[in-house]
Amino acid sequence: MLTQDQKEALQEIANIGMGQAGASIAEVLDHFVLLSIPRILFLQPEDIAGALLLTVGEENVSAVRQAFHSSMRGEAIVIFGEQRCNDLADLMGYEKDLDHAAELELLLDISNILVGACLSGIAEQLRENIGFSAPSLMADHMSVQHLFSVKDISWHNALLVEVNFRLEQRSFACHLVILLAETEIAAMAKAIDRFLDSMQ
Amino acid sequence: MSDSQSESMPILDFLVDRMEVGIFGVDREMRIVLWNHFMAMHSGRSPKEVIGRNLFECFPELPAKWLEKKIRSVFVLKNYSFTSWEQRPYLFRFFHNRPVTGGVEAMQQSCTFLPVKNAKEEVEHVCVTLFDYTDTAIFQRRLTDAIEQLHQEKLEQQRLIIQLQEAQEALQKLASSDGLTGLANRRIFDRTLITEWNRSIRYSQPLSLLMIDVDFFKRYNDHYGHQKGDACLQFVATAMSGEPQMRTMDLVARYGGEEFAVILPSTDQEGSAVVGERIRIAIESLDLPHTYSEAAKYVTVSIGSATIMPAPSINSAQLVAAADAALYRAKREGRNRVVATTVE
Repeated sequence: MLTQDQKEALQEIANIGMGQAGASIAEVLDHFVLLSIPRILFLQPEDIAGALLLTVGEENVSAVRQAFHSSMRGEAIVIFGEQRCNDLADLMGYEKDLDHAAELELLLDISNILVGACLSGIAEQLRENIGFSAPSLMADHMSVQHLFSVKDISWHNALLVEVNFRLEQRSFACHLVILLAETEIAAMAKAIDRFLDSMQ
Repeated sequence: MSDSQSESMPILDFLVDRMEVGIFGVDREMRIVLWNHFMAMHSGRSPKEVIGRNLFECFPELPAKWLEKKIRSVFVLKNYSFTSWEQRPYLFRFFHNRPVTGGVEAMQQSCTFLPVKNAKEEVEHVCVTLFDYTDTAIFQRRLTDAIEQLHQEKLEQQRLIIQLQEAQEALQKLASSDGLTGLANRRIFDRTLITEWNRSIRYSQPLSLLMIDVDFFKRYNDHYGHQKGDACLQFVATAMSGEPQMRTMDLVARYGGEEFAVILPSTDQEGSAVVGERIRIAIESLDLPHTYSEAAKYVTVSIGSATIMPAPSINSAQLVAAADAALYRAKREGRNRVVATTVE
């Protein structure tokens, strides 16, 4: 796992990364975006559902997963509440009434933007090149408890980055979960060390 | 760009142009900068016609508002973006190569939008790769149809099973009840007697049986006719089974002809005699005129009651015989009465 110094550095990296992400997302959506300070938690897969239940609540969620690859590989999962991101439809060039397919496409689009912006923000701090595969729908209105059926997850450690996005006059929030395999944590630690060295 | 890559450029150019994948690129003003053979083939527009022109002017049928937003997000975020045929079947309305067997209206497409960066890490162009997913879509559709069909068949099967169960229940009722009176028939009587016999042995409980016969019923039939006779039996049956002291475990059955039987589990001689007497009074109270009866001016019944402590060494036929004997005594002693006995 990470040392205390590495954890603090990661928090700092995430703060800066999210700031940049917020600026780019605002540019895409033509709206001022407010991002919460990312909360970083290291969790076992079986604890994720409980942690999400605390922040998301009992409502049904929709989720999108997207794989990323840099010097470390992992998966990012974006979790939306009952309202998903329908409130952002017009900002993404959709007409008012969304049919089911458009609603899902919007969900994938927004996820792609958030994952792309946030992870690129972090990767840039770490001077990593990062690539993404196409996002896919993981859950379509499902209870949080069932979202992570532990047997399906081969990851041993999950890095939970919780970020809330707020737009002026629009309510919209989601949670970003970054999952890293145990073997990838070492690569992450190495990248953080490189970042710390470059600071000195 | 390294030297080795420069040297191989003709091959790369060839591949980009001739690959069985649609590839095109636009600049920040949405002007087309790259248009490969696949795009030309399927759109019917050569690179000469479209390069340097605005994408949305060339193809006004494209969803411009949404697509421009999407492409712009790639310029801004310097990040990949995607579309999938599952949500948006196609970007360009191209014909596919399975026009006959397809069942889908146009080539199903999944697209990837790639930021093309220059040496300064700025995105100058967005390149789009367009993959033909028609075959996948067709298989997916067939699979969905097959699953739906299976689901429908399963529902139909469940409907049939319910119908069958209902028919079976109706049949069961028909087979176990007497057509005229609606009481349990002889078959159910025999079966229940054995069940109760065995249960009484297990719990060391007495078992009682009433045999009930309508007095002078032959004469009733002869003088009033069979239709009145049937009606009489129905009245008697209703009065017996409607007795409020009858418990759910008691069985009232039509034994045959004008003879009825009541099985009374966990009932001693005294209790059985009480039930018998109530039935006798209930029939008397019907006040059905019977001018040809020697017992009364109305329809009456004679009742024989027998009680036994069932044991493995004896059998239920002895109980029936004893109840029959008691009934015979009731007849002999003047009818319209209950004679209760116990088999020792």
